[in-house]
Amino acid sequence: MALSPYIDAFADYLRTGDASGMSDFCINAEHIKRMSVYRNGFYKGCVDALAANFPMCEKLVGNDDFKRIARIYVDHYPPEKGTLVGYGQSFPDFLSDFIAALETQPVGAKLSPGLVDLARLDYVWLMSLMSADATQTLTAEKISWLVERSHDFTQAVVKLNASVALIPVNPDIFNQWIALKTNSSDVESSDKNVVEDIYKHSSESKQIDSTFSVATVMFWRVQGAVQARLLSAPEVSLMKALQGEGGTLEGAFDAALALEHDFDVSDIFSACLQNEILEIDMAKYNHNN
Amino acid sequence: MEQVHLKVNEAPTPQQSLIAQAYLGAGLGLKAEHLDDILAMPVAEETGTGSRLWFEVHTENYFVPGGPRLNYLRSIRENYDLSFHGVGGSLGYDHQSMPEHIKQVKALINEFQPTLVSEHAVWSRAGGAYFADLMPLPRTQDALQSLVEGIDRYQSGIGRRILIENPSNYLDFTSEMDEPQFLVEAAQRSGCGLLIDINNLYISSKNTGIDAEKYLSQIPADLVGEIHIAGHDPDPELGQTLLIDSHAADIEMPVWALLEHALSLFGHRPVLVERDANIPPFAELMNERTTAQGYLDRCRSHTASTHTFQKEAR
Repeated sequence: MALSPYIDAFADYLRTGDASGMSDFCINAEHIKRMSVYRNGFYKGCVDALAANFPMCEKLVGNDDFKRIARIYVDHYPPEKGTLVGYGQSFPDFLSDFIAALETQPVGAKLSPGLVDLARLDYVWLMSLMSADATQTLTAEKISWLVERSHDFTQAVVKLNASVALIPVNPDIFNQWIALKTNSSDVESSDKNVVEDIYKHSSESKQIDSTFSVATVMFWRVQGAVQARLLSAPEVSLMKALQGEGGTLEGAFDAALALEHDFDVSDIFSACLQNEILEIDMAKYNHNN
Repeated sequence: MEQVHLKVNEAPTPQQSLIAQAYLGAGLGLKAEHLDDILAMPVAEETGTGSRLWFEVHTENYFVPGGPRLNYLRSIRENYDLSFHGVGGSLGYDHQSMPEHIKQVKALINEFQPTLVSEHAVWSRAGGAYFADLMPLPRTQDALQSLVEGIDRYQSGIGRRILIENPSNYLDFTSEMDEPQFLVEAAQRSGCGLLIDINNLYISSKNTGIDAEKYLSQIPADLVGEIHIAGHDPDPELGQTLLIDSHAADIEMPVWALLEHALSLFGHRPVLVERDANIPPFAELMNERTTAQGYLDRCRSHTASTHTFQKEAR
């Protein structure tokens, strides 16, 4: 017996729940319903992974409703790699489409669009946690070393390390995310926050939409723990100047000062050093490490 | 199906013994919940061969570029032997996407130098999707050939021999041979060894009516490099007529008894206590590990006394 028809029928069952294609391969027809063990295992693995990767979404929506949404996501976007680590990259976009589709239905439950930002925050947090370890962290000692050798350190090209991520979100949703993560109810957020509006009726959800604004949140990992905070506009400019391949510190400082001429670059630069988010290739300067 | 040319035949494949880890005793699946307990635990003095505690991890859970997850594993590795147990390799089918997977396994092996490396005699990928569970292969010549090819690619890619685990069976599929024949043939053709999961075997025997002891008697001892034991649960709808490999409960007496029988056939082998859901406190899991170690100690003393008797008789 060739293997491929068996696998095709099995995979079709796993994707659709229709076991009719497996009847040729099952010895005892009465046992075919036992195939559900495999399908349940597939969905459980994926749904549990999504719950683990989007914990604040799950907390907000509730375990049962999250499972229902996650199963639909698995139907549309099953994992492709042989691991569930990081599964759900497209879950926030899926949620956006899913919520929009719910809106078009005259009756039934609705979800707040704020859930999309919450999912993005969950995923960026996860990516920051699992990102590559920094190996070329810029430290005060390295700056001293450069200065001692008459290098203008503001001309040094530095870049943000792999754990740093900038994400545009509604600040209220960010506050809500923090509150969920810290089990805190005293984090400031608007009275139109996302928690209250999950499953609200259409008209109320539209009301929330109109209040949305956008800010930039920065995530980074230091000493194994992921940190997050809202950035001011000059801080965003500075960080963006150091994304990717990076840029000179002078260029980054200038980008921030262009937005706010009395912006304190030394303050944020110190914070960057303390939080170990900048990397520099010291080999260019014949430095040992 | 046409015979494929195995990489194992064109390059020197690592030929380390499959049963060289005699110093390992009973091990535990490493759970994040227990990391602090493990790190706080005094590292035991070497109390004799065959009793060393070790930990097993699902290899794919460490497919991360960096961060605390890898750091925790590094801290465990400082004091304990590790076993890398793959669950996503899909050795039985869809080998096209294996290179990237194997590359990540290889990188982890290079860093952590695990004492044991294993995978499953199943498939989990098809048509671009990963089904995130251990899907059974039909025991046919075609499936056997595909499995052998998958094992060969995996072993050649990581540069080590692996052990492959028998699946839990919930129903019977079309087959041309029984499971011991299928696994032994796969091992002999690919050069891999076997990881015998006693709980899987027990479940299969109850679900499909096979004779577990006869099954074990068909496995050559020199192919067995590791043993797993775990708990199971009845299916929520079908009850005891369908047992599920849940890894969510204590190990039941019949599984312990089958372990004892397996050890009497295979001799001392590293035994892993698996627990993946309803995780109990670490001390509770260590109690199960102590029970498993007890079976290993009895097996070792029985083997030693048998050898003494045989020497004296000569």
